[in-house]
Amino acid sequence: MNQRIRRLTVALSALFAILFVQLTTWQVVKQEELTANPNNMHALYSQFDKPRGTIVTADGQVIASSTKLPVDSNSKFDYQRTYPYGDLFANITGYYSWGYGRTQLERTQNDVLAGKTAQQQLEATGDLFTAGDVTGSVHVTIDSRIQAAAKKALGNKEGSVVVTDPRTGAVLAMYSNPAFDPNLLVSHDSNVVSETATALQNDPRKPLLANAYQERYMPGSTMKVVTTAVGFDTGFLTLERIFKDERTWTPPNTKKPIRNYGKKVCGGDMAEVFRRSCNIPFAQVAVEIGPDLMVNGANRFGFDERVPFDLPGAAASTFGGLAKDFSDSLALLAIHGFGQGEVQVTPLHMALIAGSVANGGRMMQPYVVQETRTSSGAAIKTTTPQAWKTTMAPTTAATLTELMKGVATNGTASCCIALRNGISVAVKTGTAQLNPEGQRQRSHAWIMGFAPAESPKLAISVFIKGVNDEVSASTGGRLAGPIAKQVLDASLPVMP
Amino acid sequence: MAEASVARSRRSTELGLVVLSGVITASAYVLASLGKHSVMPARVVPFMLFVLGLVACGHVIVRLTAKGADPIFLPMAAFLHGLGFVMIARLNDRWAGLQATWSLIGLLAFAATLIVIERTGDLRRYQFTALGAGLVLLLLPLVPGLGFTSGGARIWVSIGPINFQPGEFAKILLAVFFAAYLAERRELIVQGHIRVLGVTLPELRHLAPILVAWAVSVVVMVFEKDLGSSLLFFTLFVVMLWVATERISFLVMGGGLFAAGAFVAYQMFSHVRTRVDIWLDPWAQETGRGYQPIQALYGLAHGGLTGTGLGMGSPDLIPAAHNDFIFAALGEEIGLIGVTAILAAYALLVGAGMRTALRAQRDFEKLLAVGLTTITAVQTFIIVGGVLRVVPLTGVTLPFMSYGGSSLVANYVLLAILIRISDSTARSLHEIPDSASASERFATWRLRRSARATGAST
Repeated sequence: MNQRIRRLTVALSALFAILFVQLTTWQVVKQEELTANPNNMHALYSQFDKPRGTIVTADGQVIASSTKLPVDSNSKFDYQRTYPYGDLFANITGYYSWGYGRTQLERTQNDVLAGKTAQQQLEATGDLFTAGDVTGSVHVTIDSRIQAAAKKALGNKEGSVVVTDPRTGAVLAMYSNPAFDPNLLVSHDSNVVSETATALQNDPRKPLLANAYQERYMPGSTMKVVTTAVGFDTGFLTLERIFKDERTWTPPNTKKPIRNYGKKVCGGDMAEVFRRSCNIPFAQVAVEIGPDLMVNGANRFGFDERVPFDLPGAAASTFGGLAKDFSDSLALLAIHGFGQGEVQVTPLHMALIAGSVANGGRMMQPYVVQETRTSSGAAIKTTTPQAWKTTMAPTTAATLTELMKGVATNGTASCCIALRNGISVAVKTGTAQLNPEGQRQRSHAWIMGFAPAESPKLAISVFIKGVNDEVSASTGGRLAGPIAKQVLDASLPVMP
Repeated sequence: MAEASVARSRRSTELGLVVLSGVITASAYVLASLGKHSVMPARVVPFMLFVLGLVACGHVIVRLTAKGADPIFLPMAAFLHGLGFVMIARLNDRWAGLQATWSLIGLLAFAATLIVIERTGDLRRYQFTALGAGLVLLLLPLVPGLGFTSGGARIWVSIGPINFQPGEFAKILLAVFFAAYLAERRELIVQGHIRVLGVTLPELRHLAPILVAWAVSVVVMVFEKDLGSSLLFFTLFVVMLWVATERISFLVMGGGLFAAGAFVAYQMFSHVRTRVDIWLDPWAQETGRGYQPIQALYGLAHGGLTGTGLGMGSPDLIPAAHNDFIFAALGEEIGLIGVTAILAAYALLVGAGMRTALRAQRDFEKLLAVGLTTITAVQTFIIVGGVLRVVPLTGVTLPFMSYGGSSLVANYVLLAILIRISDSTARSLHEIPDSASASERFATWRLRRSARATGAST
């Protein structure tokens, strides 16, 4: 019998060999082919059957979290991602969607949220004797109260509000309208997701883009802050400078005259032309400074450079040309000097420009992630504030602050910006004219500034897109001013 | 001295290996929880102690009742059982609780088998009881009111709150019967023969019981629609006949019968045709009956060479991943490398069974070891091969790994019998002293006492 038993053993071994060969066929040889099959959902599903950490605001509000669904739920996944504030933080958190990708912090902080960083994995293995979650949390600089105030003040106007701490670069609020509700994109019902996605993609207002930093717009007179700073720093401009009262001025190499806003006569000393926002003086100063120094100056403010931001897809502001372009056309330089033409700025960058005046010429690098933490609360990564640009000399910053205070008390924003409790504020308004002369009036409304003017804690930029007559008929001061006031009034009491 | 050291070395090998199995199980359990929930499992230390306690209990039972046995059996079973449990727990908490209970019952059945069956001869004496019990168990699911159909096969019996598959135990009982029957009659079957059309065939009267048993089991399986078990029984009978008689004609005859049976079944039964069609081209019914095998292949591909990591794949996309398809679920999460280790463990288990059969000194022990080992090997092949599309998919459980109480308990009984045979052989070969068993000592004590009593009275 032993011989038969040996043969049987050989036969059974052959069966196991067959299994091994076939196993290798499926797992190695045909692996790619099977994985590439669009009906193979294994890889996709495994991402969504796991817990995920929270995103928390500076004031402790959870703005993104995952909840375990009951076992008997009809959902195809074990966990549901939720954004309790709906559209309020859509541009900060982004979404983590099945079938529709992920954006913003959900994308950039994926490893922390999923518990995949080396530190989290290490901590988990050291945690053998207690039950614990290894997903991490992301703590943002955004304050939910300021963010809510921004949304409320903006109302149904298209545009954005950005509030930063000028001393650190921390973004305290950044809200863009239109926004979207990320909850609809993370629904486990694929019909809801695809309908929402289609609607958002077809919406001409581009709600999926954070217009606060992913889009750039003509800045109008807010640009005069840059021109003034460059003028003071290069010595072409002093406080003693007196500008003639003029209705029009024709720059060199062109026959097309430049006019002031509303075709008014405008002139006076430096402080007056700044607070009344005359156009001609700044056009003249830009031409005096010349293409090289002006472009160089704009670059010191971070123009034509992507803002180093910890949210994805930041747009770069642009001064609208190289020095040699302006050498060929000084008229263009003149127009750019007061923020018209090809100049474009992102609302976030505008808040940084205001912040750099507040911070003595040091423009801090903006950030929204304050800290990432493991499940036990240990810091994975903490953001240390760092300067991005030195935009101007401290003395220039001090001078500009005084000029901007004049705008608030006695200039284009005096109607609307006076803060509660008499807190001083320094601002500059902007009304960017979009339509060529003679056509229907279209203009963006801007305001940028900081408060309190003496010891700044907040820098702000408010941008209202010129999409309709109502916006276009008004000015930066009248339209954006009250919004800035409302946000600053709500924010200053909550600042430490 | 030398005899004692053989037992000691085998048992310390076994202890080392079962502890390793326990550690692997506990580590896999932790990893699966981390992978799936990003959470350290609650009560992980009690769990580890429980697992190590179970394997240690199994080891102590072997040490007490079968200290000369091959040290490979228990550790391999513990390893497969542990990994299977981890996968079941990772798929569903509720099943894990039930399976844990069945694990305990399995261990108790293991202990009970080793304690009750002290000598292999005990089994041999009850060969016809085994045949009768085996047939009754096989037929039980067909009894109206008792049996019920689940998953397309009428192989379940419900008594009170307990549902079980009596077929799992029937195969062991029938293996016992065949081993005993063939051990007694193999000479007769070989010598007495008739020639039909130039082929040497055993005399009908020697074969009658076997043919009856075979026919009954196959017919029952066709009525119960359990193709996998049918194939398993058939292979078991043919292999045991061949090994016992050393006649190749039985294999040829068996192969012929199988081919004919398969052809008839394919023509007659739609459920057989369906299985074959899905096997040949599952993608023809990708969202229908082909869904399950295709998901298994997708999962295996997703796992690839190294696997996604325990808890990090999507084996829940495979219907019945905890049961018939547990091999695919493991393939996805521990990859080719991991499931190759599982195949190797089965191969080692089968190898140990065959070694036991080779070493066994009595025909009955030899044949029983061959039969039980063949059951394990062929059952593994049928289900893994079905999942991997080597053969048409027929639902049998993967020994020690699949979810299910009947299967687990039956496999531990099977394992205990193999260990008993292995230990018995070690005694026959004087590798260890052939000391009296507990009941023999008890019988001796009673005899002496009655002798004393008689002596005193006379």
